[in-house]
Amino acid sequence: MEEILNQLPAFVEQISDIREIIISNIVLIGQIPAPTFREQRRAERLVERLADFQVDDCAVDDFGNPVGIIRGRASSKSAIFIVAHLDTFCETTSDTLYTVTDKAISGMGVSDNSAAVGVMASLPEVFRRLGMVFESDIVLVAPVHSLGPGNLKGIRQLLKTWPTPVRGAICLESVELGRLNYYSDGMIRGEISCSIASEKKMGRHHQPNAILIIHEVIHAILKLRLPQKPRTQIVIGKIAGGFNHGQEAFDASIGFEIRSDSDRMVRELYGDIKDIVNGINKSFAVDLKLSIISHLNATQLAYNHPLVKCAARILYRLGVEAVSEPSETALSIFLQKQIPAITLGLTRGNHFHQDGAMVEIEPLFKGIAQIPALVAAMDSGMCSHE
Amino acid sequence: MNKSWIETNTFHHSKFKDLDRLVAAKQRKNLSISLCLPTLNEERTIAKEIVIMKSELMIRHPLLDEIVVIDSGSTDQTREIARAYEVMVYQADDILPALSRFMGKGENLWKALYVTRGDIIVYIDADIKNIHHRFAYGLIGPLLLSDTIRFTKAFYDRPIAIGDNKLRPTGGGRVTELVTRPLFSLFMPDLTQFVQPLSGEYAGFRSIFEKIPFHIGYGVETGMLIDIFEKWGLDVMAQVDLDRRVHKNQDTKALGRMAFVIIKTFLKRLQDLDRMNLKQDIFNEMIQFHLVRDQLESEIHTLEQHERPPIIEIPEYREKFGMEDKM
Repeated sequence: MEEILNQLPAFVEQISDIREIIISNIVLIGQIPAPTFREQRRAERLVERLADFQVDDCAVDDFGNPVGIIRGRASSKSAIFIVAHLDTFCETTSDTLYTVTDKAISGMGVSDNSAAVGVMASLPEVFRRLGMVFESDIVLVAPVHSLGPGNLKGIRQLLKTWPTPVRGAICLESVELGRLNYYSDGMIRGEISCSIASEKKMGRHHQPNAILIIHEVIHAILKLRLPQKPRTQIVIGKIAGGFNHGQEAFDASIGFEIRSDSDRMVRELYGDIKDIVNGINKSFAVDLKLSIISHLNATQLAYNHPLVKCAARILYRLGVEAVSEPSETALSIFLQKQIPAITLGLTRGNHFHQDGAMVEIEPLFKGIAQIPALVAAMDSGMCSHE
Repeated sequence: MNKSWIETNTFHHSKFKDLDRLVAAKQRKNLSISLCLPTLNEERTIAKEIVIMKSELMIRHPLLDEIVVIDSGSTDQTREIARAYEVMVYQADDILPALSRFMGKGENLWKALYVTRGDIIVYIDADIKNIHHRFAYGLIGPLLLSDTIRFTKAFYDRPIAIGDNKLRPTGGGRVTELVTRPLFSLFMPDLTQFVQPLSGEYAGFRSIFEKIPFHIGYGVETGMLIDIFEKWGLDVMAQVDLDRRVHKNQDTKALGRMAFVIIKTFLKRLQDLDRMNLKQDIFNEMIQFHLVRDQLESEIHTLEQHERPPIIEIPEYREKFGMEDKM
């Protein structure tokens, strides 16, 4: 491991030598919109780029996931996955035009997760420049249908049908450099929508107001008692409703997320919210609906797992402080399948899900240097209990 | 009119996307290629243009030998940002400083001939928001793969499909359709076949560019087309469909000033070529009006006609390129 760590400064320097290739990949792929369930064009572009970079096997699989395999020298060794989710929160379907300066790349979706996808497309060139060849197959995959209602379906399907054993996985997120995720909370993400029945919309002086009904729901959720252990949280992260200042609102909705390191607690709280919804439905005689958008089980890699320790040592040697938090990414799907995995951040940035999303260029080179170092360690068996 | 030209000399950029083939042709013909980006306050787009061209056409495929930025005196970060990506950046005024100074895109393009070294020069505007390396290789392709084509010009927007493998270009911009095309139709109908004669992207052999004059301002594209056509004929020219181009749009008054300069350029060339004899001097002032508190106020723009001679006639150029004794 020490030998790999000693190479890190050279890695950073050599990776910065091909900054134009990395930025071009981020721009040429990231400018193609990829809202969840509509990622096809971006998937095709990514596969085209991987083929351009002489990746051995490149294809869009049956689920729409773009996959490239850099064949290893030893066919008996199980594969190492490098993953960056392809879809973005942005709903636009027309091309986004990124802006590049000497310091930053900005544009819709660049920080979640276009920069990471562009970096993944550049990895074949990074490995080549660093003179690295591996025993294991390196599988580059940008899963589709990851975010929101996608519920990580792309990576779930891919792993369900993957024919050979997987040694481990590195999940890439554009931001923030220093991020080292190795566990995921149990999670249910849901929506509650209130719709006033159409016959009540006309000719009633005191019709119910959907926003006020939703307000009752929020009020009741906030009164739920959450334990400190197991660590549990309910986040109300989205709200929408109404259409005019002077009109009673016919429709309103909230999006919420229950998170806990105990799956049982997540289920119990979901049951409580279901009771709240049923109760308010009866009291106000409205059409209040509860639906699950996505869910995950709590999974964890031990903090002293060799993969986590290797990643932490690499970050330390790069002079970057490691920050560990739960992550609801492809990571949790790998961990559920007992495949060691971590999530790494690649650079710094801000306005992650907004119009002014940007990522910094300079920290990116350290962020990328983590990948060949960690892949080399995994490839030589340092990151597993094998 | 030579009607077959549009069939034989109009290409789509996709025909040239095999970059290895282009590089092989370039090496076989022992040619070097320079990309010139003329700039004036382009800090939002210059880096993306340099990064993509450098990545795809220099680092990954050695098609370009150099990228040169010629700046007209930007007051924003254009030059600093360009230098950060390690390309040559010049201020136009610093090139051939002994000559009188002018400001305009044509001046930058002309002076680029002095500081670049390529046998082929590619000119691409620096304000393209959807830049892609096809903008360069699409223009270079015909020059490398044909033995007769010496100059290529871009046109844009997806053409309309009109049957199996038949495409109909959508035409030019407002100034093209209202000014340039009518003038070409009246006097030089062969040139009407250029879908977008005013497009800012073109490429050609140095041996062509160094022998023609360059208009300093908006007239540079019109003058260049006429001069190449008159000197070498239509067959050395080609046009390439580069698909969509997203850039800054100009307001109608700015387009009016552009039209003024293009008409002046055209009239001057007709006189130079002895095709027309104007009985009066033409004026240098474009007069426009705008409304201020219910009063029409005139807005007068002095748009002088300046033209650089063929750079091959400049002693410094001849010396630099070792042609002292050939004039």
